[in-house]
Amino acid sequence: MLDLETLKNEALKAISDADSKTLEELRIEYLSKKGKIQGLMAQMRDLSAEEKPKFGQMVNDLKNSISAAMDAKKEELESALMNTKLLSEKVDITLDAYNPKTGTMHPLTLVQKEIEDIFIGMGYNVAEGPELESDLYNFTKANTPEGHPARDMQDTFYVDASRLLRSQTTAIQMRVLESDAQKLPIKVVCPGKVYRRDDDDATHSHQFMQCEGLVIGENITVADLKGTLELMIREMFSKDAKIRFRPSYFPFTEPSFEVDMTCHICGGKGCPTCKGTGWIEILGSGMVHPNVLEMAGIDSKKYTGFAFGVGIERVAMLKYGITDIRDLYTNDIRFLDGFKR
Amino acid sequence: MKLSLNWLSDFIDLEGLSVDEIVEQMVRCGFEVESIEKLSSGTNLVVGKVLECTDHPDSDHLHLTKTDIGSEVLDIVCGAPNCRAGLKVIVAKVGAVLPGGEIKAGVIRGQASNGMLCSLKELGITEDLLAPDSKSFDGIEELDDRFNVGDTDILKKLGYDDTILDVSVYANRPDCLSMYAMAKEMGAILNREVRLPEYEGKANIGNKSDFVLTSVSENCPHFLAKVVNSVTIKESPDWMKEHLRANGVKCINNLVDISNYVMLETGQPLHFYDLRTNPAKEITVRDDYEGTYTALDGIDYQIEKGDLMITSEGKPIGIAGIMGGDNTKILDDTKGLIIEAALFDHAQIRRTSNRLGLQTEAAARFSKGLEPMAQNKAVDRAVDLLIQLADAKDFEETVEYGKPDYEPYEIRESLTHLNTLIGKAYTMDEAVAVMKRLGFECRVEGDDFITKIPSHRASDLKIPEDIDEEIVRLTDFDDLKSTLPLMPQTVGKLTNIQKIRRVIRDILTKQGFYDTVNYTLVSKKFIDEAVLPSGEAVEMISPLSDARRYIRTSLMNSLLEALSYNLDHYNENVNLFEISKIYSDKGEEERLGMIMEGNFIEDKVKHLNVKADFYVLKGLLKQILSSLGFEMGRVSIKENTLDTAHFHPYQSAVLMMDGKTLCIFGKLHPNYLKSMKLNDVYYAEMILDVLANASPAKVKAPVINKYPSVSRDISLMLKEDVKAADLLAAIKKIGGHLVKNSEVFDVYQGEHIDEGYKSVSLNIVYEDKEKTLKAEDVNNVHEKILSDLLSRFEAKQR
Repeated sequence: MLDLETLKNEALKAISDADSKTLEELRIEYLSKKGKIQGLMAQMRDLSAEEKPKFGQMVNDLKNSISAAMDAKKEELESALMNTKLLSEKVDITLDAYNPKTGTMHPLTLVQKEIEDIFIGMGYNVAEGPELESDLYNFTKANTPEGHPARDMQDTFYVDASRLLRSQTTAIQMRVLESDAQKLPIKVVCPGKVYRRDDDDATHSHQFMQCEGLVIGENITVADLKGTLELMIREMFSKDAKIRFRPSYFPFTEPSFEVDMTCHICGGKGCPTCKGTGWIEILGSGMVHPNVLEMAGIDSKKYTGFAFGVGIERVAMLKYGITDIRDLYTNDIRFLDGFKR
Repeated sequence: MKLSLNWLSDFIDLEGLSVDEIVEQMVRCGFEVESIEKLSSGTNLVVGKVLECTDHPDSDHLHLTKTDIGSEVLDIVCGAPNCRAGLKVIVAKVGAVLPGGEIKAGVIRGQASNGMLCSLKELGITEDLLAPDSKSFDGIEELDDRFNVGDTDILKKLGYDDTILDVSVYANRPDCLSMYAMAKEMGAILNREVRLPEYEGKANIGNKSDFVLTSVSENCPHFLAKVVNSVTIKESPDWMKEHLRANGVKCINNLVDISNYVMLETGQPLHFYDLRTNPAKEITVRDDYEGTYTALDGIDYQIEKGDLMITSEGKPIGIAGIMGGDNTKILDDTKGLIIEAALFDHAQIRRTSNRLGLQTEAAARFSKGLEPMAQNKAVDRAVDLLIQLADAKDFEETVEYGKPDYEPYEIRESLTHLNTLIGKAYTMDEAVAVMKRLGFECRVEGDDFITKIPSHRASDLKIPEDIDEEIVRLTDFDDLKSTLPLMPQTVGKLTNIQKIRRVIRDILTKQGFYDTVNYTLVSKKFIDEAVLPSGEAVEMISPLSDARRYIRTSLMNSLLEALSYNLDHYNENVNLFEISKIYSDKGEEERLGMIMEGNFIEDKVKHLNVKADFYVLKGLLKQILSSLGFEMGRVSIKENTLDTAHFHPYQSAVLMMDGKTLCIFGKLHPNYLKSMKLNDVYYAEMILDVLANASPAKVKAPVINKYPSVSRDISLMLKEDVKAADLLAAIKKIGGHLVKNSEVFDVYQGEHIDEGYKSVSLNIVYEDKEKTLKAEDVNNVHEKILSDLLSRFEAKQR
C-alpha cells in the first residue's frame, strides 16, 4: 500500500517540474495502457475479494489526481506560453497612428451651413439667385431707385448699363418676393456671394458673402424679428446671448435696425473684442418697406414681414477669432486645417 | 458730420450732460459717433507773465525765465524764439497733462525748469485751426489783455475748449448735415428745448432787380440769386471763427466766412460772386459746356458735357455745386456781391465731383440731397448775417428760377397699425409726445394721429411706417419682447443643387480635400486659359485692377493659383476643391473643380503611399457620382478631344451623361504647368447643372443570391492599346446573366513582355440566381469567354 502513496508523490513532483514536452512523456509513463497506474491494476489479482474494491477505488483516486494535476499543469504551461507570445507583440501606444487624410470644409461654408440648418429647422427654405444680376432686383425693387448713392459706379461692379455683380443678397429676396407673391407666406434664407468696389485689406474684401432672411405673412411684427434673431444668435454664439436693436437705415426696410449681440468673448462685461462696450454689432434688419411689397405685387395693407442680413465673413471672424479677412480667400491649408469640425 | 458741442450749446442747454451720456443717447437713437475729439486739451494750465528773460548760458536758443503765475514765480526754461519779458503766456505747471505727455520738474542743461510755456500746438490744436496771426506757428502763444495772471480758463477764453463729435449720418437723413436740423434732432434725442435763430423772411427786402436767372438744364430745378450792392470786408467775430474752426473750416474774411457758416448751419451750399465780375447781371445754368476751367483752388479742370456749369454771357463762372471759379471769386476789395443758392441734381453732382476728383463740402452736401426749402432758408440767413457783420445795404430783390419742391403735407397713422407692426403697446400719449419732441405739429382723431411734416424731414418721412420708426427710435426699445412669427407650418428643405453640393463637400473633405473659396474676378490670362468655357467672358466696366477685370469662365486657374500658393509655402500633398458659379455671355453655370498634387494617401507609419494619378481621380469622380445616384452605367467615358492644350492628351478623359458633357479630368499638360513651375498635377472640372437637372436612380434594396458564386481568373497577353472596357464588354456579352461581375485586377508591361504588349489579368465571378452552379456549367461558359477573348483581341493565354 505504501508504494501507492510513494507513486503519487513521485508523479506529482515530476508533473510540477515538467515542461510541455516532459509533461506529455509523463502522461505516457503514468496514464497510458502500459503505464504505471495500469501496472498497479495487475496487483489486484493477488488481493482478497473484500480488498479488491477498496484497492480499485484507491488506484482510481490516484489516477484521477495525477490526471487532474497534469491538466492543471498543461493549462498553466499554455497560459505562460500565450503570455510570452503576447508580450513579444507589445506595441508602443504612443507611436503615431495611421493618419487617414481628411480635408476640411471652408469656414465660410461652415457658417453658411450652420445658418441654413438653423432656419431649415424652423421651416424656412434656402433661396438663391444669380451673382451677375440685373439692377432691377439689386436696387430698383429694393426701393433704391436710380440716382441713389448706393447705385454709384464707384461702389459696385457694373458690366453694362443694367447688369452688375450683385452688391447685396437683397437681390435674392426681391426675386423670391416676385416669384412667391401669390404663394404666401414666405420664409426663406438667402445666402450667397456679393461684390463691392472696395480695395482688399484686413477688414475689406471686394468679394464677400451674406445671408439674408425674409418672412412675409399676416401680422408679422418687430417682436417676431427680435425673437427669430435671438434664436439664431443663441444657436450660433452662446445660449445666454442677448440682442438689442438700434435704429438704422436701409432703403428696403422701415423701420430699420442694427442688431447688437452681447459680446461672446466676455459675455457683456466689456473686453478688447467689444471695445469695452459689451456689445458687438452683428447684423442689419427691419420690417420690409411697404414700397418693396407693393412693387412685388403684395398687398402691404394685409401683409407685413421682416428681413435681416448678416455678413458670413463677419460671423466667421467673430466665431473663430479670424483677424484678417484675406485669410478666408488665401486657401492656405495650414489655415484651413483649423476647421476640422 | 462734425458736431461741435459748443455750437450745439448755443441752441440747447447741455447742462448736466457728460459727453459720454450725449453720445450714448445719440447711438441709441440711430446716430453712430465715429470719434470724439477734444479740440485741445491740457490740465494745470494758468496764465503767467514773463518777468525776466535771459539767455541760457549753455545754449544758443534756450531762455531762462522767471514767470509769475500769481501764486508764485517759477523758473522755467523756454526755447521759443518769441519768448521775452513782459509777455502774457500759457504756463503748464508741473503735473500738467498735455497731449504730448506729463510736465515734470527738471533740469535743462544745468538750469532748473518747473513747468512749460506753451504754444497752442502743444495743447493739441492743429495748425489749420490756428488764427492766421497766431504766434503758435513757430513760438509760444502771446495772450492779449483779456487774460489776467492766474486765470485758468484759458482754453475756454481762446475758444478752443470744444469737443467735436464725428457723427455718421444715414443716407435718409441728409438734413442732419446741417447744424439747424441737427440741433432739432439733438433736442428730440436729449428731450430738451431747442432755441434756433429766427431769420425767416429776412431776404424779403430790396429794390427791383433786373438780374436775369435761367437754367437750360433739367438738373437745376431751383435757383435763387440776390444782388447786394454794398458790403464791407472785415474780420469775422470770434464766435463765428470758433464755430468754423471747430468744423475744420479755414477763416478768410467775413464774406467768405458767412457763406461757409450759412452752409454749415442750413446745409445749403452758398456761393458769393464778386458783383464786378458779372456786369451783364445774368446767370445761366448749363450742362453743355466742354473745355477746361480754372476753379477757386487755381487748378484747371476738364469739363465735359453733362457737368453742370454756372455761366454768364455764355462763359463759365463756376462749377455748379462743387466749387466757384477763380475769375469771379471774392477779393480783398470786393464791394458788392451776388448770392447764389441753388438746387442741383445730386446724382449729377456726384458724377462730376467723382470724375474731377474734387470732393468739397458743397459737393458732399449736394450729393446726399438737400431739404427742399434749403435755398430759401440759406438766402434768408445770408442776408441776416451780411447785414449784421458786413454792413450790407443796397439789396436788390431776390430773383428766382423754378420753385422749391415742397408743399406742406400730413401723415396719418393709427395707434393700432403702429402697435400691430411693432409688437408693442404704445399709448396715444407716448406716440404724440415723440412727435412733439421732434417739433412736429400733431393732432389726434380717434385712433389716428396726424402729423404735419416740416420741409427738412420731407425726403425721409412719407408713409405711416416712417412715423413708426421715429417713435421706435426715440423711445426705450429694450423692453420689446421676443416672439416667433405665428404662421402656417412649412417644411424647410434644400433644393437639388444644394443637396448635391453638400454630398460632394462631405465626400471630398473625408477624402482629404480642402474646400476653398476663390475670387470670382480674374485676369485676362485666366480667361484665355479657361477649361470648357461656356461662352465669352463678361468684363467689368470699371474694374479694380487688371487682375480683377473679368468674371471667370472656369475654376481651373483659381485652383492652380491656390495650389501654387500652398506649394510655395511648403505645404505638401495638396488636394483642393471648389464649388462655384461661373458666368459668361451664355449665362450661369455651377461647377466643381478638383485639383490633386503629390500623394493621395501617405502614411509613414504604415509605409502606405498612393500617388495622385488618373485612376485615383477617376475613382473619386465615380464615388461622387454613385453617391448622388448616378451609376457609371449611365455615365460614359470618352477620349478627351475637348481640351488637349491644358490636359495631357493620353491621360485625360471626358465624362458624358444623358448626352451632355459632364466632366473633363486627368493629368494637366506639362507644357501648361511649366510656366507655373508645377509637375504632375491632376485636375477635374465638373458641370454640376448636368447633375442637378437629371433624375438620380431610385434606391432599391439588392436581392442577395442564395446560391454560391464561383470565381475564375484569366491571364492574357494583349496588344497594349486594347481597352479594359472592351474586354469587360466582351465577357458580359458571351457570359450573359451568368457573369455576376468581371474586373481587371492586374496590368503589367516591362520585363518578359514584348514591346507593344501588355499582360492583363481578369477576374470573373459567375453565378446563377436559379440554382447552384456545377463545375461543368462554369467551365463551359468560361471556355467560351476565353476563346472569344483570344480570337477577338488576338490574345495569347499566359
